[in-house]
Amino acid sequence: MKLARIAWRNLWRQKRRTILTLVSIAFGGFLAILMTAMQDQSWADFIDTAARLGGGHVRVQHVDYLDTPSLKKTVTGTDKLAQLAAADPDVKTVVRRIFGQVMLSTATDSFGGGLIAYDPKTETEDTLSFLEGLKEGAMFETSNDKGIILGKKLASNLGLKLGRKVVYTMMDKNGDIVTGLGRLSGIIGTGAASVDGTLVLLPIDVVRKTLGYSKDEATHVSIFLDDSRTSDAVAARLNAVVGEGRKAVTWSDAQPDLASFIAMKVGGAIVMEIIIGLLIFAGIFNTLFVSVMERVREFGIMLAIGWSPGQVFKLVMWESLWLAFVGLLLTGAVSWYPYTWLAENGIDMTVMYKSKNVEVSGVGFDMVMHVGIYPESLAVILSAILLATLTAGLYPAWKAGRVAPVDSIKLV
Amino acid sequence: MSDPNAPAVIEFSGVTKDYKQGSVDVHALRGLDLTIRKGEFTAICGPSGSGKTTALNLIGALDSPTSGTVRLEGQDLGSLSRRARSHMRRDRIGFVFQAYNLMPVLTAYENAESVLALQGVAATERKQRVMALLSEVGLGGMEHRRPDELSGGQQQRVAIARAIASEPAVVLADEPTANVDSETAEKLLEIMEKLNRERGVTFVFSTHDPRVMERARRVVQLVDGKVAGDVVKPEGSGIDT
Repeated sequence: MKLARIAWRNLWRQKRRTILTLVSIAFGGFLAILMTAMQDQSWADFIDTAARLGGGHVRVQHVDYLDTPSLKKTVTGTDKLAQLAAADPDVKTVVRRIFGQVMLSTATDSFGGGLIAYDPKTETEDTLSFLEGLKEGAMFETSNDKGIILGKKLASNLGLKLGRKVVYTMMDKNGDIVTGLGRLSGIIGTGAASVDGTLVLLPIDVVRKTLGYSKDEATHVSIFLDDSRTSDAVAARLNAVVGEGRKAVTWSDAQPDLASFIAMKVGGAIVMEIIIGLLIFAGIFNTLFVSVMERVREFGIMLAIGWSPGQVFKLVMWESLWLAFVGLLLTGAVSWYPYTWLAENGIDMTVMYKSKNVEVSGVGFDMVMHVGIYPESLAVILSAILLATLTAGLYPAWKAGRVAPVDSIKLV
Repeated sequence: MSDPNAPAVIEFSGVTKDYKQGSVDVHALRGLDLTIRKGEFTAICGPSGSGKTTALNLIGALDSPTSGTVRLEGQDLGSLSRRARSHMRRDRIGFVFQAYNLMPVLTAYENAESVLALQGVAATERKQRVMALLSEVGLGGMEHRRPDELSGGQQQRVAIARAIASEPAVVLADEPTANVDSETAEKLLEIMEKLNRERGVTFVFSTHDPRVMERARRVVQLVDGKVAGDVVKPEGSGIDT
């Protein structure tokens, strides 16, 4: 008679208790999967959004740019750098940009802004999310376009309407003040006040000319990846080849406040998952312990007729393993439909917030929260359930093997 | 089948057993000397507290004496490790308990074969032996029933089959007739007598039941942890002391 078969039958001696335990495992597993799936998807989306708003998942820039960002700190030979980056298997897209501070002036007013100069031929909404937010006018057609695109609030502050002229002033590589003139060709509204009040978009070749940069000079080579989790690895590989005076940094290096925020939130979620895990553990432990204590006499008989303590221990561990196995199957069964539904439809979070836009460090959250779990996260959850169940069985199993037959049988 | 020349299966030599019950010191056995030979059909009886429970526990390698030795087929049980005692119980001792004590999730067949399975006996041989035994104890055709589908007497027959399946040196039966009606008790005793007679299985009963004492061919009376009487009934008639 195989221990596994006896254990399986033992499990169903107290059907109600076993079912309740399985339900608690499945519910706990479902909660853990759902929470992790929300977290994995929302942070992945958030990081991708941050990358599309800023300089990509990885950026190659002047070695000192991160310490003191400046239009003086540039990288040349960006065509070759872009080729090097594009050869990496984890890289999806490579673009070149100039980031800097700019002063905008009209006849009546002046305001500062954050400049992003880009090549309209190589960039789309996939790399520069602001392009999705065009409210008025049109995007640039070429990298020599004479237009300028501003955030909605900035344009309003300057009292500018489409077609009106604006002077932009910057500091070039030599520290000299340089100016350019553009006509307002587009207005972007993202809903994020910090963006709409500062955003200035210009065609990259126009800015290069204004600043005296060479044809393939820029402040950044921005690299977009298929999976943001490969950022560190890609940056490390690029650092080996980018050459002296340049450095590949990740989105978390460039936006440490954002990275800290995500780490804090992930940490909080892990604590919640540990609490859920402990609750599952307590439930399983209770079931197995009570089940062992109810069968002390039976274990005594088994030991008396020749079962070894090790065999009794294994029997209870098999019961624990069955609980884990069926619990995992049930977890999969109860999680599948809600997971696929939420992955497809998401949850509209706008009802929970007064504003329709929530931003952290200038990065807006997608208010429809979808779910999507990384395979390794799923593996960790399922392994944790298995481990918790087996660990919960250890003490009851040990206790069962230590039953003294002489005390439990009570031969008269 | 009580042959005075048969080899000794169980030997108690000056056995004492003391234990604490709460704060009270109990002297359960006080220098017990007793020999049980192969093929005996022996009842140990006595009032509560006389030491018969303790004696059976010691024979069953479930407990160790405070002093003296208990030998089973010449092996000093007190000197065995926990593991060796477990093997001794599995291989050389059969147990029939008062409350049947079958494993509730196993069928009659599975219960009866469980000790053989623990011994590692091959499945085909197990099947042969167990089916024959179940038939012998009158349970042919009931091998697939679980304990809750069997009467008390039938459960006790399964327990007897389980106890003798491994061909042990001795079967210890603790009040085997206590939970069954008279008719069933007679049938159970008949079965055990038959197994003793035909297979030479050594039976030791702990009992209060006069029917058991009547059928036993040797009755050992314990009082205060010592043998107060030892009656061997000769084959056929009369009582020899």
